Amino acid sequence: MNNSPLLKIEELRTYFYSRTKQAFIRSVDGVDLEVNKGDTLGIVGESGSGKSVSMLSIMGLIAARPGIITGQVWYQQEQARINLLAGLQDHVQVSKNDGRIMSVEKTDLAWQRRLEKNMLGIRGKEIAMIFQNPKSAMNPFFTIGHQIVENITRHTQYKSRKEAKERALYWLERVKIDSPQLRFYNYPYGLSGGMCQRAMIATALSSEAKLLIADEPTTGLDATIQARIADLLEELRAQTGVTIVLISHDMGVIGRLSNKIAVMYGGRVMESGPAQAVIDHADGKSHPYTEALLKSIPREDNMSSQGHLNSIDGEVLDTINVPRGCRFASRCQRINKSIEKMCLNEEPPLATVSDGHKIRCWHFAGV
Amino acid sequence: MTQYAQTQTTVSEYSELSILQRTDKRDIAYVVYGIVILLMVVCAYLMAIFGWLPHDPEEMQLELMLAGPGAPGHLLGTDFMGRDTLPRLILVIKAYFVPGLMYIAVAILLGGIFGILSGYYGNKYETVVTYITNIIDSFPRLILMLLVVAAFKPDIYYIMMVLGVTNAPLVSQLIKGKISMLRQKNFVESAIALGIPDARIIFKHILWFNCRSYLIIQATLGMGEAILLESALSYLGFGVQEPTPSWGNMVQQGANYLLQGQLWSSTIPAMAIMFTVLGFYLLGDGLNNMLEGKRQS
Amino acid sequence: MMVSRSAKPVVLYLTRELYVTFFLLIGVSLVVFAVLYSAPGDPLAAVFGGQVLSDAQREEMMRNLGISNTWYGQYWSWLVKLFNGDFGTSLRSGQPVLGEVTKLAKNTFYLTFGAMFFSLMIALPIAIYLAKRGTDRLGWVLMMFAYTTSAVPLFWSAYIVIYIYTRFFNTLPIGLATGESMNFTQMMLPVFMLGLGSGIISETVRFLRDEISRVFSEDYVRTARAKGVSVWKHALTEALIIPVSEMIASKIPFVIGGAIIVEQIFNWPGIGRMAWQAAQDRDYPVIMCITLVTALIVRLTSLLQKTLYVIVNPRASQETKTS
Repeated sequence: MNNSPLLKIEELRTYFYSRTKQAFIRSVDGVDLEVNKGDTLGIVGESGSGKSVSMLSIMGLIAARPGIITGQVWYQQEQARINLLAGLQDHVQVSKNDGRIMSVEKTDLAWQRRLEKNMLGIRGKEIAMIFQNPKSAMNPFFTIGHQIVENITRHTQYKSRKEAKERALYWLERVKIDSPQLRFYNYPYGLSGGMCQRAMIATALSSEAKLLIADEPTTGLDATIQARIADLLEELRAQTGVTIVLISHDMGVIGRLSNKIAVMYGGRVMESGPAQAVIDHADGKSHPYTEALLKSIPREDNMSSQGHLNSIDGEVLDTINVPRGCRFASRCQRINKSIEKMCLNEEPPLATVSDGHKIRCWHFAGV
Repeated sequence: MTQYAQTQTTVSEYSELSILQRTDKRDIAYVVYGIVILLMVVCAYLMAIFGWLPHDPEEMQLELMLAGPGAPGHLLGTDFMGRDTLPRLILVIKAYFVPGLMYIAVAILLGGIFGILSGYYGNKYETVVTYITNIIDSFPRLILMLLVVAAFKPDIYYIMMVLGVTNAPLVSQLIKGKISMLRQKNFVESAIALGIPDARIIFKHILWFNCRSYLIIQATLGMGEAILLESALSYLGFGVQEPTPSWGNMVQQGANYLLQGQLWSSTIPAMAIMFTVLGFYLLGDGLNNMLEGKRQS
Repeated sequence: MMVSRSAKPVVLYLTRELYVTFFLLIGVSLVVFAVLYSAPGDPLAAVFGGQVLSDAQREEMMRNLGISNTWYGQYWSWLVKLFNGDFGTSLRSGQPVLGEVTKLAKNTFYLTFGAMFFSLMIALPIAIYLAKRGTDRLGWVLMMFAYTTSAVPLFWSAYIVIYIYTRFFNTLPIGLATGESMNFTQMMLPVFMLGLGSGIISETVRFLRDEISRVFSEDYVRTARAKGVSVWKHALTEALIIPVSEMIASKIPFVIGGAIIVEQIFNWPGIGRMAWQAAQDRDYPVIMCITLVTALIVRLTSLLQKTLYVIVNPRASQETKTS
């Protein structure tokens, strides 16, 4: 038994080329993350921070073209440790100074082919994914049962129809769908959003994947149902030991489910570490962006003196013209004269401030 | 290796870019080609009505029948009666002009009425309009034209009338789609709430401000279709009748000699049709992409 | 997978569509009647009882047949006649029209649907290529090819093909009507020419390209990719089956129109050629019958497409219930 992390992301970059602007949109720009077996890693950030795109990149599911991914994603299989993005760097030219992508091949065909080859046997089997808006993420032309059975016969040892069906019903029961025998034959349009999300979780888990990436699984659902889905995920994690990467802009959901948290901004990880350290400031240190995010959770003590909810001032980062210095500098509340020069001119490193707790801020870089 | 590279000098905001900067270069090329064709057509029309023709279109040179392009004195060759092809090609535009305009007017008028009834006035009319447009769509165009030709007389105006009517459903659908899009943005509702009279909303705000580009695109596409259809009918003997030349009957007359190996006299007008129709198609498509692109941003 | 889906909404939907088709056909008959009624030269009388020369003759004939003078009375008598399968007799051959038309309709049917198949065989790969690769250099060439097929006069390109054919084989690829036996190429040439030249390829390519790229960016297709299962299996229904069937249903009138020309050029004994002949001879009963028959074919194709749609799309019957 080795102790290497299940998933280790190094220098992940996902750029989209904008033909009209003739420039790269740097959606994900050098992300480093680790996910250990059995953990629940919560990735939080505003929309446009690159949290979803980074996880879609790992699965090779980037749809908008021309988009390009580089970096290393080490996935620990039973015996071997494989790089999901192996060979992709051959198709891009990377800057020697800061590692950003300078140019890519115009036809992404070879690149796409390589990616599909890398993903063979990984998607669905090793890493499963669930999405937001479950009603549109389930195929409207197939029954729920068919979509689960398909996954089971493809990825597990239950190859016969009968076995697979039994197994599918078992999973439908596990995700607490009422009368699974009936739901098995239902189409997604007949189900509520919450029910659909349960069905999708059942589909994802039915392949017995080791890692589940949940991309905003509660977004777009009613508040009460959000809580139930969150409970269900927690319960399933405890029972099956599946590792979860949870993406959300909702600090509440993240705080409730994850034991590790990464905060992303402008395509970069700004802070990462154990949940206690990031949310509860167990070590007394925090990133200004995280602080601002926490303050914007709708809670009574977060109201300003006028009774308004706190919000983060300023615009979301322009990911084409990325500033030279810290990405958050323009909106940062904690910026002061003594470090201003540093903040505006050089990007801070991700510095370790306490056990496993890393912060990308000049306030802590010198420590 | 062709590459996408960061050519970043200063990237201005998307909204500050002009349409030309924002659109695919290919679409611009399409539109430019289409406009060149359109200008040529306009030139030809002017030449035809003022009689500035490079050669007498009626003069027959029997010793030079079915000559290929580049024959002495005849840039594009001659037809089966030894008449010069080029001035006849130009003269055609005049014959097309009024029927073409009439067809587009009928299509847009009828389609506009249908579209506004079903899109603006809604449910009650929608069923009726759908019913009528479905009936129109049931007829193969050419068969309906043959019926009308047989019942009335083989006349280009009758044919263009039928073409206009059969194209009305498409126009109606476009306008209806546009109106329902505007409704989704509460554009129509807010206009009504402001007390603007219906007629003004329809004509000024819907048709003029929001549909004119669509209608222009539809008209250009329609012109191409009309030219093709005329050529088909000419082949069947119901198109523009001799002695008035039309591209259709020129191809048709030339085709009689085609199997004997005399390719040119039909190929030249056929090429004229092809390049013109292609120009109209590309113009319509390029404009559509450019304007759609604008909407997406 | 249509396991144990309740059949009721489907049946309801189809019954409704059947009603709609029926009323549309009534509308179609009204249009045809209106043309015949308002035209000079008594086409309606020709349908009722053959050629008449004067108004007096016409009056007498109508009286003998017991047909009223009002337009609705005449329409009713005409409709009843049609429902009895009596479309009049051809002024040219003196034979009952319906029998002649249905005999030849078979040939046109083969020609049109064969051509449709060819068109799709050409358009589909281009559309898929454009949707998957975008308009790169080859894609651009393919797109231009598709446009060009729709911009060339069909009869001219058919003549060119015949010319090339005669050069190679020293025989004309025409003459099915003359009863000569034809080889396979001779049979396929008209079908292929119509498929290429009926002008539907460019629109089909554009429509299918847009549909395919739209469906491939749908959330559920991404889910299928994330599951590691066949993406095409998931996208098939919405990206291919539905748009292709829609395209067939909406473009069949155009192909029938093109068939008139191709039948003329290749001497193919179908109703297109017959319609042309009838239009020249002012053989009103024949052209009327052909108009009605082709409209019927169009409506039935549309009905078939709706049926297919409701079968493959479980939401379809739901949609109609709410609307």
